[in-house]
Amino acid sequence: MLNAKVKAETLKEVVELLHTLVDEVKMNFGKEGLGVKAVDPSHVAMIELSLTKSSFEEYKSSGMELAIELEKLKEVLKLARPGEIVKLSFDEDKNKLIVEIASFRRFIPLLDIGSISDAKVPSLTHSAKAVIDLEALRQGIRGTESVSSHLTIEIKPDVFKLEGESEQDKVEMMLYKEKGEVEIEAKEPAKSMYALDYFSNVVKAISSAQKVTLNIGKDYPLKMEFAFAGGNGTAKFLLAPRMPDSI
Amino acid sequence: MDNYIRSVVPADSLFELSASKPTNYNMRCVICKGSRMLCGKASCPILVRFYVKSKTFKLLDSNQIHGSTPPGAFIGRMGYPYVYVGPLVPPITGDTAILDTPEMWGNRTMEDIVDFRFKLVRGKHYVKVTDIEKNKIVSLTRELALADAPTGIEAKFTKKPGGDIVLDDDVQPFGPSAPLEKIDAENYKIDRRIEKAYYDTDMKAKDAVLETYRSGVLVSKIQRAFSVGAFGQAKLRKFVPTRWSITAVDSILGLELLKKTKTLPQIGEYLVFEHKQLDNIWEILMVPSEWCYELIEAWYPRTVWNPTGNTIAIFSSAEFFEGRKEYAEIGGCYYAARLAVNEKLHEMQRQAGVVIMREAHPGYIMPVGVWNVREAVRAALRNTPVRFNTLGEALNYAGSKLAIPMSRWIKESAVLKYLMFQKRLDEYAEKT
Repeated sequence: MLNAKVKAETLKEVVELLHTLVDEVKMNFGKEGLGVKAVDPSHVAMIELSLTKSSFEEYKSSGMELAIELEKLKEVLKLARPGEIVKLSFDEDKNKLIVEIASFRRFIPLLDIGSISDAKVPSLTHSAKAVIDLEALRQGIRGTESVSSHLTIEIKPDVFKLEGESEQDKVEMMLYKEKGEVEIEAKEPAKSMYALDYFSNVVKAISSAQKVTLNIGKDYPLKMEFAFAGGNGTAKFLLAPRMPDSI
Repeated sequence: MDNYIRSVVPADSLFELSASKPTNYNMRCVICKGSRMLCGKASCPILVRFYVKSKTFKLLDSNQIHGSTPPGAFIGRMGYPYVYVGPLVPPITGDTAILDTPEMWGNRTMEDIVDFRFKLVRGKHYVKVTDIEKNKIVSLTRELALADAPTGIEAKFTKKPGGDIVLDDDVQPFGPSAPLEKIDAENYKIDRRIEKAYYDTDMKAKDAVLETYRSGVLVSKIQRAFSVGAFGQAKLRKFVPTRWSITAVDSILGLELLKKTKTLPQIGEYLVFEHKQLDNIWEILMVPSEWCYELIEAWYPRTVWNPTGNTIAIFSSAEFFEGRKEYAEIGGCYYAARLAVNEKLHEMQRQAGVVIMREAHPGYIMPVGVWNVREAVRAALRNTPVRFNTLGEALNYAGSKLAIPMSRWIKESAVLKYLMFQKRLDEYAEKT
């Protein structure tokens, strides 16, 4: 049994975020809320989302995992007007997810649960952490994209730095703790390089967060955390590093 | 061969021949006249052309040809949508299939291939590409191209065949040409595997390509049918320039195979496949990874596309799992090789990251078309691969077979750098 009502914007953000990495996902409608994990085909990036019961207008689930093609959910959500409520329910006999917006309904056929492999979440310990404005990060990424396909993040106790470089061009962005542009917790300086494609797409897909927390290490996976859906949803994005090449 | 030429023609007429063509061959060629190899190539391209021409022209001293079309057709692209179309007719009869079937050229030399091609006279008839039922010349050109065997043709031209040959990186070379006045053909039968798609005017061109491929029709034959507008919904059918049709078919087939490739399990070790053909060295690396693909081509100085340079020129195009949106920088060969690679992965029932390294040496004196890339990659992948446990070992091995150092290939390669330097989340211990 599933009966969930949620603001269209909230569900849209979930779908947009997941769609940056995968086309199909397993959504876990647990008793206490929705949880989703997805890893991209190359196992370079992963996203983990959870929406507590309280981020829904109404939520009741007997606990179930549904495998969904994201494009279909995206199409129906496009019909929703701002502020409209989306109702999700599960037709067990026909194995379909029913999505209702006002008097419109779409019956989405579900995929075979076994066709989507489980994302294995790595155990990570980060040595540096910075909290920055989403807008600042967006600007830094957009600026870097025009010169390189990779981005280097460096966190020192007093400064946060983004850097991108190609043969001819170079861009950088510095945020200082002293000026209140960034919050930093760093035991030691950390620096890692990451491919921009997934990172950029995920950052573009975030619509409701103001601030994001970036955790890195020395040539180590990135963990980006942010809250969405009015603080009731949490998201975690992991991205494996690109090692500096010596060629 | 050079001696043969010099024995039959005075050096002065060779000079005339080379000077009359707007080619890359500059003053050096005038001094050299094909005798001193000043350009550094293993044999003189001008002589190769002349050699074949002289042989063909003896057979062509008339504005009429009776011969067997392999079958073949050429659709030009200059002036599109108004182009020249027409059948390919050699001045010989019998089983001429090899002349227009690149799949049969695997062990042939450059001279053989040029010889095949320059025997084929291109009949030319000027049409708008959508006029596919204009007259007898047009309908015969189309139907003969679909024939299941070489077919006798009587072709009458308005003048003796001659003029420019077609040399291009994408299409196989094409020989002398002349405007067609009329053609008559003996009885022919349309290949039954193509027939169904040809008469089905509701089937999309893409589906026709896939269906004929699945029924075992050679890629070159599908491309020929595609170029004469034999496929697709009735009102959309039109002539497609030969050059475009080749890449269209390679691309359609490759993308279709890729859909499945991306769902197959990854290979378990590092494989290196090799092949040598027409003074090109091919080293193909397969890596345990999700699908990603790159074709890197290195041109030595004095090869076709690097005629005047003093340094090696390297070009590459790549795609990662999501595929690419823009046309490959290095052209049609990218799609031809991608098809060959996916055929192999389907046979293996495996997914892999694939990097093809092609080193063209000075014996590769003239472009012979994309078929060469497709068939060379297929040939390489038919060989038994050498197996390795690490990427480093595989690269070392491939590097030992190539003249250009591996570090240079890596520097030019987006996929090799990705495979070497991009970490995966699986490399970090799982949370318990």
